[in-house]
Amino acid sequence: MLNKQIFSFGAIVVAIAGTFLLYASVYTLDEAEQAVIVQLGAPVGDPVTEPGLHFKKPFIQEVRRFDKRVISWDGDPNQIPTRGEQFISVDTTARWRIADPLVFMQRVQNERGATMRLNDILDSVVRDKISATDLVEIVRSKDWKISEEDLARVQINGESDEEILLKEVKTGRQELVRSILVQAASQMPELGIELIDIRIKRIDYVEAVEQRVFDRMIAERQRIAEQFRSEGEGRAAEIDGDTKKSLAEIQSEAERAAEAIRGRADAEASRIYSQAFGADPEFYKFLRTLESYTSTLGASTTLMLGTDSEYFRYLRNVDAPEAVAK
Amino acid sequence: MNRNSPPPMNHNPLDDIDWDAFKRYRKLILIVPILLLLVAGAMSSFYIVQPEEEAVVKRFGRVVAQKEPGLHFKLPFGVDTAQMVPTARVLKQEFGFRTTGIDGRTSYRKDRVHQDESLMLTGDLKVIDVEWVVQYRVSDPDAFLHKVRDPEQTLRDVSEAVMRRIVGNSLGSDVLTEKRVQVAASAKQELQKAMEHFELGIQISTIELQDVTPPGPVKPAFNEVNQAEQERERYINEAEKRRNQVIPRAEGQARQVIAEAEGYAAKRINAAKGETERFTAIYEAYLKAPQVTRERMYLEMIDKVLPKAGKIYIMEEGANAPLPLLNLGDGTTTFPKAK
Repeated sequence: MLNKQIFSFGAIVVAIAGTFLLYASVYTLDEAEQAVIVQLGAPVGDPVTEPGLHFKKPFIQEVRRFDKRVISWDGDPNQIPTRGEQFISVDTTARWRIADPLVFMQRVQNERGATMRLNDILDSVVRDKISATDLVEIVRSKDWKISEEDLARVQINGESDEEILLKEVKTGRQELVRSILVQAASQMPELGIELIDIRIKRIDYVEAVEQRVFDRMIAERQRIAEQFRSEGEGRAAEIDGDTKKSLAEIQSEAERAAEAIRGRADAEASRIYSQAFGADPEFYKFLRTLESYTSTLGASTTLMLGTDSEYFRYLRNVDAPEAVAK
Repeated sequence: MNRNSPPPMNHNPLDDIDWDAFKRYRKLILIVPILLLLVAGAMSSFYIVQPEEEAVVKRFGRVVAQKEPGLHFKLPFGVDTAQMVPTARVLKQEFGFRTTGIDGRTSYRKDRVHQDESLMLTGDLKVIDVEWVVQYRVSDPDAFLHKVRDPEQTLRDVSEAVMRRIVGNSLGSDVLTEKRVQVAASAKQELQKAMEHFELGIQISTIELQDVTPPGPVKPAFNEVNQAEQERERYINEAEKRRNQVIPRAEGQARQVIAEAEGYAAKRINAAKGETERFTAIYEAYLKAPQVTRERMYLEMIDKVLPKAGKIYIMEEGANAPLPLLNLGDGTTTFPKAK
């Protein structure tokens, strides 16, 4: 009775110990993980990258897990002078992954250590490359092209701007980024890291420069506004001038026509007169003179008439003229 | 357990146990844990995938299946795990602003942080404020979960970099106006390519540019340009208005001047005709008796003239000084010329 009880308890103990042993010699690896097996402090075998169920020696081997996925790195914005001595603030972002977990574990221990190393390397490479490049090469890409049309449209700003706009892009943003990647990536294998991608996330002018750029933009806008206004005034003046011209044309043309009409009428009248009066010019003169006397002589006239005048002839002599003549 | 396992010499602790009670409840003691185990196993052996989701099933951490919406079974006790990913849902990331409330009226926020997202350099080395929205969908849930650690952050970083590259390669005035659509289209293309490069399992649906404006301090100057453009139109319109006020009136006046001249012409010609007709009539009469008519006409003239004349002097033939008929004048004396 007692032995049987002891036996059943022993079986339970063995079962529990067995489960425990099994548990210690089995591990699972997630799809996103990779691992290095460490036996009493020394790494054993190749890193495990296959996800699923794996076995190890219990108790003496431990599993060090690492991320297998692509990891983000985000740098602090750096103030860097470009080759043209313009200070800009550059913010970069990169993607990396643990390519060799064993080397990674030995060199940088964990992601914290890796991030610190990446900060050092990437910051310095970015700084080197940016400070050896002109601003336009950083901002623009290789296929930067400005058409005559575009140039004409933005040309209002003066000579120096035209120069900047026309400046040919030799390397450009993409090529610059690629060279940063190549140079930085070359330092990665010894850290067990693969640098997949690095990008310039933001470029901004530092505050003082930004203010100057804003001022320039404002001045440029104001120039354009002035141009619009003076264009308007110019057009208005042109229309006003045109109006005056039309006015003068209309008026003088009317006067010319009126004069011509009057002239033709005068000529016609003159022709009518001469045709009629030409029949007997002497009689016309006589008639016209008599009429003239009638209208010109008046109250303010003093007439002095000789007694020998035709009118007063009868005042002295009433004989028939034949008698006088004799 | 330790107390139970080694059998002691004198006093057996097992004697203290009420074995009768143990026997009585033996069945129950065995059944309850087994029952609990069964319930837990049943609970963890199925899962429900919602209509907008897909499930990624992993056995011991390794991906073994992807499941469509509905009820599915799996191995219990954590051997199989299912992760749901909303693949049908269109997700959205905002750059340069954040939507804060959508109940009733949608409101937006733009802080200093968001400002930093949207301020960028243009190809003509000016600054522009570009806000945009990226809409995307998880197209490959397995890749989305296992290729990149934080896919959303990667999408954010890459789309900022892409947008800045494209705007940096364009003229600011173009991005503000006609090239908006083009910028969005090339950003989408480039972003999609980067997504494939990283195997993010994300499909970009659209990139839409929202507010594209000049940076804050420069905005008033841009408005000034718009105003000036309107002023230009106003100046021109006013000049045309002045013209319309003047020209038709002048044309009317011109017609008046011509009409007046035509009136003059008619009057002048008619006067000439009248006068000549009168002359002709008198002349025809005169021809019948020239001398008599002449004298009659002369005397008629005298009849008219003499009564009107102020002073009349009649002078004796041969006399030198004039002999006034009436010498009551003002003393001014007119001398006749010697005949």
